[in-house]
Amino acid sequence: MADYDHRPRGGRGGYNNRKRRYRDEDDYDRRPQRRRYEEPLSVKVRKQLLAIAESPLKRVEDEVYSIAKVVADNHEDAELRKSFEDLALQLVVEQPFKTPFVASVVLAINALKSDFVDSIIAKAVTEFDSAISRGEWREVKLLMKFLGCLQGILEGDGVFPVLQDILTKAVELQTENSDDTLGPELVKIILFTIPYIMVSSGSDAIEKAASMIENTDIIASEPHVLQALVDPYPGNGKEDATPPTSVLQLLQKQLSNEATNGWELACLPRPWKLLQDAEQEITIANAPKHVLPPVNLPEVLVAGPRALFPELYFSVYANQDVETVPPTTDIASCLLRDALIDTINILDYNRNATAKFLIDLDCYFSPGTFVKRATPFDRLRDIDGDRSTWKPEDVAVDAVFSQLFQLPAPEHKLVYYHSVLTEACKIAPAAIAPSLGRAIRYLYRGVDSMDLELSYRFMDWFSHHLSNFGFTWKWTEWIDDVELPSLDPKKAFIQGALDKEIRLSFAQRIKGTLPAPYQQLITEEKEKDTPDFKYNDEATPFAADGRELMSLVKKKSPEDAIEPIITRIQSTAKDLNLPLPPLYYSTDAYVTSICYIGSKSLSHVLSCIERCKDRLLASSEARSQIIESVMAYWKDQPGIGVNIVDKLLNYTILSPDSVIEWALGKSGSNLSESAIFEMVAATVGKVTGRVRQVVKSTQEPDIPADEKATLQETVDRERQSMKELFELMEDKLTGWASGSKDQMLDGRGVTDEESAMIVQWGERYLRVFRRRGAVEEAWFLDQSKIVVPAAVEEMKVDIPEPETVEID
Amino acid sequence: MPAAVRNTVDRLDKPSAYYQGRNKRKYNRDDDREDRPKTPDEPAEDPLKDATTLYVGNLSFYTTEEQIHELFAKCGEIKRLVMGLDRFNKTPCGFCFVEYYTHQDALDCMKYIGGTKLDERVIRTDLDPGFQEGRQYGRGKSGGQVRDEYREEYDEGRGGLGRAIQAERMKEEEEYGKGR
Repeated sequence: MADYDHRPRGGRGGYNNRKRRYRDEDDYDRRPQRRRYEEPLSVKVRKQLLAIAESPLKRVEDEVYSIAKVVADNHEDAELRKSFEDLALQLVVEQPFKTPFVASVVLAINALKSDFVDSIIAKAVTEFDSAISRGEWREVKLLMKFLGCLQGILEGDGVFPVLQDILTKAVELQTENSDDTLGPELVKIILFTIPYIMVSSGSDAIEKAASMIENTDIIASEPHVLQALVDPYPGNGKEDATPPTSVLQLLQKQLSNEATNGWELACLPRPWKLLQDAEQEITIANAPKHVLPPVNLPEVLVAGPRALFPELYFSVYANQDVETVPPTTDIASCLLRDALIDTINILDYNRNATAKFLIDLDCYFSPGTFVKRATPFDRLRDIDGDRSTWKPEDVAVDAVFSQLFQLPAPEHKLVYYHSVLTEACKIAPAAIAPSLGRAIRYLYRGVDSMDLELSYRFMDWFSHHLSNFGFTWKWTEWIDDVELPSLDPKKAFIQGALDKEIRLSFAQRIKGTLPAPYQQLITEEKEKDTPDFKYNDEATPFAADGRELMSLVKKKSPEDAIEPIITRIQSTAKDLNLPLPPLYYSTDAYVTSICYIGSKSLSHVLSCIERCKDRLLASSEARSQIIESVMAYWKDQPGIGVNIVDKLLNYTILSPDSVIEWALGKSGSNLSESAIFEMVAATVGKVTGRVRQVVKSTQEPDIPADEKATLQETVDRERQSMKELFELMEDKLTGWASGSKDQMLDGRGVTDEESAMIVQWGERYLRVFRRRGAVEEAWFLDQSKIVVPAAVEEMKVDIPEPETVEID
Repeated sequence: MPAAVRNTVDRLDKPSAYYQGRNKRKYNRDDDREDRPKTPDEPAEDPLKDATTLYVGNLSFYTTEEQIHELFAKCGEIKRLVMGLDRFNKTPCGFCFVEYYTHQDALDCMKYIGGTKLDERVIRTDLDPGFQEGRQYGRGKSGGQVRDEYREEYDEGRGGLGRAIQAERMKEEEEYGKGR
């Protein structure tokens, strides 16, 4: 439908409706109607296949049969054939929920017109080979699942020899190097294929599956060395920290259980069975079989475009008094999660489609897997003992959170996962909102034992999400925590989230959404658009000089008018024997003036910096004062300050190490402020991004040798400075984490309790940035394996400099 | 794989019908005026192929650069942000241009931010071939955006009713007053 008729009938009322006003006078649309025509068969089948299993109102076996019938009856229609085969395989890699249903269509076609099926199997194998050669392991897995679903119509052992070949590769890789991450990924492909084979129409797989699972055990059960690095809940000194479990370990155990329990695999759909039972004129079981063409596993496998890390099982619905998601002892936990995260990550180009899939989750799995949609949590207790209490929306939301909280980083930008949750909430607010509420409570409860980077992600998502829904949240639940000290992770979360909300909105608006006890967190200063200029206060040292300097900068006075004031401040400072170098006092006045003049907007401050950049660049001795002045001026809206610091880095007025030194070196009690984490993370991100960029630039083909040498020098230099930056952080942070630095808070010494909290903040920071360092190192090692074809020497001909020819 | 393969669900990172429609019209007009030799085998280079800029619409007049920055930086570092201004009073008039460093960031922004809320309004994003001086000003008769001239719905964030309609009403009221 959508392809043909986009135009809403009553298009009035949209903006620019002047053009459509003539319609107001018309009672009906007098334009000639589009001539009706029969759409080509291939288009019709395309639509049917695209929508397969989507509607809970249609019986899926009827859908399967009707598509198969048309395709089989018209097997001579080349266009139909091609479009069907292409779309079927495209669905398998783009909408993995539909794989079992697409496979059933193929089974049905096989029963009706068996020689049709050879080419689609061949095509699947070609795509499989191509995915392997590109290192697209998810695609490999999805195609394997599809072939697994077809096991019943494959000759001999079907897909098992392929699985065996993959396993052999994985074992080789692991024997070579036990730190390798590709081996476990290959095993994951095998293990996720097996359940789909077991629910296929193939009936002789039990033994082969069991022996395969036995053989994967050696790789799957071993916790990977990198596992601790990506643990979302390292505990931070709390005792109840649970050891992380990898998806691979979990799945291996679950599959062994299934093998001993007769492969119930209750959640997976078996549409071919329905088809058989539906008394259609076909039999699936004894249909002709086909040879699976040999697959091509190259000697050396490509690691692929995405760095691989061990995947840990993460759930925000653990330990509830009623189970709303499958427990990790049940294989449904891994199977549902796997299909969900593939769907989510593949469809990033249409978050509305993703959200629709999440809401319709129950259409694609066995009936009875879930309770009815939008069943309230409290109602779950009334459900009979043997029936499922799994809420489809909890399972779906849980999968999105597993990506949002994926370490070291999920496949897409975090904001994608934000947008999926937003859309899901928009489509089905009554179902999704309560699930999100329980997720938020779970995450908040664990915020002190959570990895620091993740608690920052949580804060960022939470505030962004609320900004899409009128900033409504039951803040009353956390009222007791408002009184906690600012070093407490929970209090830090509340303060950070409110600051972020304000940045997306404005202080007064946010204040209006908060219960009374929270009001104190949004001070009067935070509501000011333009913070005071401190030199307007006579009590500030250099008040008169500061004001004069500001008015000169504001008037865009030439440097020779500004210089005398700067000199005056410096010589006064020297005469008074002030503790800091004289340049610091003049810089403070200069930078504070710039901030004040630029306080109207980011572009105001940028144009002011642009004007003043020569003097700022010449003040490299006082970089820490530049940061200090910016952050002091914007102390009540630190987000703006962080942005300005970021821009100053771009101008190279500041250097990355000066920012790190300022943020981590000064005071341990800063560490709980979300703006400080933001500043540090952004600075490190800038440096690592730069290194990646220069490394990538050396991989361009056809770089002449001399240029290559220069590029290599740049890489070495940038990598060296990155290394030094990480060392600087390590040095500063170990100081806090070991408690060996003198700690001050609001100008006084700290209590033992506070000191213990600072130690923890130091540890949390250390974990995050040690991981960042390790990830960058791993990335670089991966890159250095890439063989870049050197510029072909013979092709290089020395072209003499052309003689200059004068042209009139 | 050729780029022509259509995905099984629509992509959100395509230019809008508005942009495409506008281009088509321009193309036809050019053709009518000058009898340029047509080169059908050489399709014109897509001006959005490497686009790093987005047009952002349906902003409130009161939304600040900082708010826009805060949201849009979630898709990547922002290179430049140009607020759309009323041609006459130089005040924000509800749109802006956001420029990223990379094409990918701009595409991601289309996918993840276009159609979500900023300052409690659903905003619109469209890929743009790049900002040029002059485009920051509204092209409506009274200085703002054209859409704010004839808008019949009251929109508090965008100055109430359409300005032309406001002016019309004002005139009507005045005349009514005189007639008495």
